[in-house]
Amino acid sequence: MNTGTLRRVVLSINNISKTFPGGITAIEEINLDLYEGEIVALLGENGSGKSTLVKILYGVYTPDSGEIKILTGDKLSRVNFGNPVDAMKHGIILVNQTPQLIDKLSVAENIAITLSTLRSRDHSGFTSISETSKLLKEVSESTGIRVDPNEKAYNLTYSQKQFIELLRAIIVNAKIFLLDEALSYLPIAEKKRFYDILYSLKNSGKTVLLITHKIQEAFDLSDRIVILRKGRIVGVLETKNTTVDEVRRLMFGETNNKYIINNNWSNPEEEHVIEVEDLAVRDDHGREVLSNITFCVGKGEIAGIIGVAGSGQRELVESIVGLRKPIRGKITLAGVDVVRKGIKAVREAGVGYIPDQPLKQGIACDNSIVENIAIMFSSNPILINWDIVKEKAVEIVKNYNVQSKSIDSPVKTLSGGNIMKVIIGKELSYAKQALIACNPTRALDELSANNLVSVLKYKAHAEKLSVLIASEDIDEVLTISDAVYVLNSGRLIGPFQPSKVPRERIEELMVA
Amino acid sequence: MKITILKRKKELKYGAVIASLLSILFGITIYLVIIGLFGVNLVEAINILGKSFISPTIMKDFLIIYVMGCGLLLSFKASLWNIGGEGQFYIAMIPGIVITLLLFNPETSSTTVPAFIVVLLVIITGSVVGAVWAAVAGTLKAFMNIDEVPVTLILNYIAYYLVNHLVSGPLKGKKTYGYLRTDEIPGIYRLNIILPITRTGNQFEEAVYSFLTQVSYYIALLVTAIAISVFTWWLFKYTKLGLYIKIMGSNPEYLYATGVNTKMLTLLIMALSGSIIGLSGSLYLLVEWGRIPYGIQSHTPGYGYLAILASWLSMLDHRLLPVSAYLVAGLRNTGLSIKIAGLGDTEQTLIILGSVLLGYSITRFIADYEVKIR
Ligand SMILES: Nc1ncnc2c1ncn2[C@@H]1O[C@H](COP(=O)(O)OP(=O)(O)OP(=O)(O)O)[C@@H](O)[C@H]1O
Ligand SMILES: [Mg+2]
Repeated sequence: MNTGTLRRVVLSINNISKTFPGGITAIEEINLDLYEGEIVALLGENGSGKSTLVKILYGVYTPDSGEIKILTGDKLSRVNFGNPVDAMKHGIILVNQTPQLIDKLSVAENIAITLSTLRSRDHSGFTSISETSKLLKEVSESTGIRVDPNEKAYNLTYSQKQFIELLRAIIVNAKIFLLDEALSYLPIAEKKRFYDILYSLKNSGKTVLLITHKIQEAFDLSDRIVILRKGRIVGVLETKNTTVDEVRRLMFGETNNKYIINNNWSNPEEEHVIEVEDLAVRDDHGREVLSNITFCVGKGEIAGIIGVAGSGQRELVESIVGLRKPIRGKITLAGVDVVRKGIKAVREAGVGYIPDQPLKQGIACDNSIVENIAIMFSSNPILINWDIVKEKAVEIVKNYNVQSKSIDSPVKTLSGGNIMKVIIGKELSYAKQALIACNPTRALDELSANNLVSVLKYKAHAEKLSVLIASEDIDEVLTISDAVYVLNSGRLIGPFQPSKVPRERIEELMVA
Repeated sequence: MKITILKRKKELKYGAVIASLLSILFGITIYLVIIGLFGVNLVEAINILGKSFISPTIMKDFLIIYVMGCGLLLSFKASLWNIGGEGQFYIAMIPGIVITLLLFNPETSSTTVPAFIVVLLVIITGSVVGAVWAAVAGTLKAFMNIDEVPVTLILNYIAYYLVNHLVSGPLKGKKTYGYLRTDEIPGIYRLNIILPITRTGNQFEEAVYSFLTQVSYYIALLVTAIAISVFTWWLFKYTKLGLYIKIMGSNPEYLYATGVNTKMLTLLIMALSGSIIGLSGSLYLLVEWGRIPYGIQSHTPGYGYLAILASWLSMLDHRLLPVSAYLVAGLRNTGLSIKIAGLGDTEQTLIILGSVLLGYSITRFIADYEVKIR
């Protein structure tokens, strides 16, 4: 840190409020100064207004009132962003959970587009691919992230894409980095490298505003922690002078984690609900990403599969529920021969599914909450009994603590975590025999994530639901599972008993 | 100073309806200004416009466009772009001719089948043929992922060709005074109620009477339109299929992941869409034409395309479809009257339509957003 020198404010947020059409006030009277050379963590429960705030700073939304000032030269001057390009030109860039790269283009082409957009407004012309490649090489050397500028974006793994997003931000010379859950899905090793880059950015005087649901991550990384609750700032804390409990109390209004989880899957029954035998599967680009996968999950058992992003979990769960045809192998799920019968039969057998790409396969964002629930919970083949469906929707919204104005609100008006809660609630209520899930706690705040873990355990151990969870989060898998597998380069290793195998061993297996 | 544009927090009451009405007004004003600049007599033009929109002759066009619009809207809402209304409309008339003239013609054979059964048969087979015609595109889309837009369009031309071929060949009429067309279908199968002409000398009475004459003449279309409108409302409000259609339009991948057979659904939606249009085709035969003329595509204003327009103008909202169908029908009438009055060509109405669309975009924007200057 630049101790000694007086640090300057680079971004000043004064009295910003935003109410959405429909009357939901997402943030209210926000006042916050960000300094150069600091990392600030922005924490808050699902729906507290974090994404809305950064989207305002990035020019995606216009605030209803208040003003934003930015350091230009050596004084703060007021800005009004009409769109993200405006914001980028003032040195602000947003990276969120989903990489924004255009898949068909190469890395260099993607970055050249951004550069050209920024420059064309300066009338300084286009940026050539070779020029971009040179810039890329420079940042690649200074950050230690290796990239091939000519690689097509679709060939990159999720982590690689996120790194490119970060490199892009550095190349366009951003001064303020807004990261909205950008690290959430990164594998551990990659996360560490990301941390290092953030530190070096900070040391070179840049500012990072980081949204995360992992409280520990905020403590590891940040200088200050800002806490939002119901759209208002309820705490601005020096990280080194506060505690996790204090932060939790401010975030949720309660300190200790009241969901105590007891792991008691004691009597493995003989019956297997999920059986996978010698499975081999291709990814979207035709590469064989899984081979010789054999395992089974008993009735009432929770099996967890850990693997870094891109190690084949997505393809595995998709083929298990019948959405992806395997090259060879046999899958039996809830008595259904999946390869022959496909997703329809699987669903009819009472299988819930939380996909790796929740917004694609898990929900229709343009439709309302109740419509999304209706298509799964209407037993009559012709008519929808709206009374029953509405009741179900109200029940799900209540049990899973979905914050929304009404069950008739379009899903796209919910916050990221609340969308996930709708998916989880609907799939868990639907699942009678088995649940197949990919990263189920992603996007959830700590309290909701813990809540989900205990609900899952209850459903499995008391109601005899068989659960298969594929995840990139070691802690999640270790706390939740009765049996743990590691997926690495398309091969499955395990099962292990989570209590018997040390965490370090699992980490080793993941990257070996 | 900076201008900011914000989405309104509260939707304006009746925003959509007011926007529609204002845009019609806007469109007509722009049109009048333009033709005024070209020296057309505005009083006369306004007179024609007004008359066209309240003229009872608008009835038939409105009803046909509305019914077809409902059929198209079903597929459009599912993001299936059935632009083959024309083909489905005409091809559906063929079974009607075969049934009434060749199979159950009381004038040439001693048929004992009651007329209403025959009429029912005509309507059902017409719907089925329309459904099959659309389902061809549906099948190609569902199972081979071939874009339905060019396919439905090509099927229009195949239908024109096929119908014309049949009319000039196997179905060519014998009592047609030399015209190339099919014979008239027997009167007992026609669905019109014809009121006798009366003259009272009272303008208002005569207007009402003329309106009633139209209503009763097109009573079958009216009943069908009401039935289809109830059906559409019921479909989207209460049925699973209606909900599937909506979600098919927003996220088919999700629909598939919940276990819905989206291929069969694609086929079903296209077929349903085609069947409603087929229904309107067979009714048009029974109610209006009574025969199929040769060169069929030049004998109607292109209802298939007008219905697409109406459906899009309604923003795919079936509650607004009556308004947009009425607008489109009114404009078509205006075009005809303008031509008859010698004020210009029918294409002039495109100016109105264009300006209505422009007006709609503007008023819709004002209804949805507020502009702040600070
Ligand atoms: N486009 C929108 N229209 C209407 N309401 C919205 C819209 N976007 C967000 N909201 C509402 O604003 C509130 C804050 O949402 P926001 O996405 O900022 O939360 P968040 O803190 O990022 O939550 P999460 O941790 O779940 O991502 C929520 O109640 C949400 O429903
Ligand atoms: Mg968010």
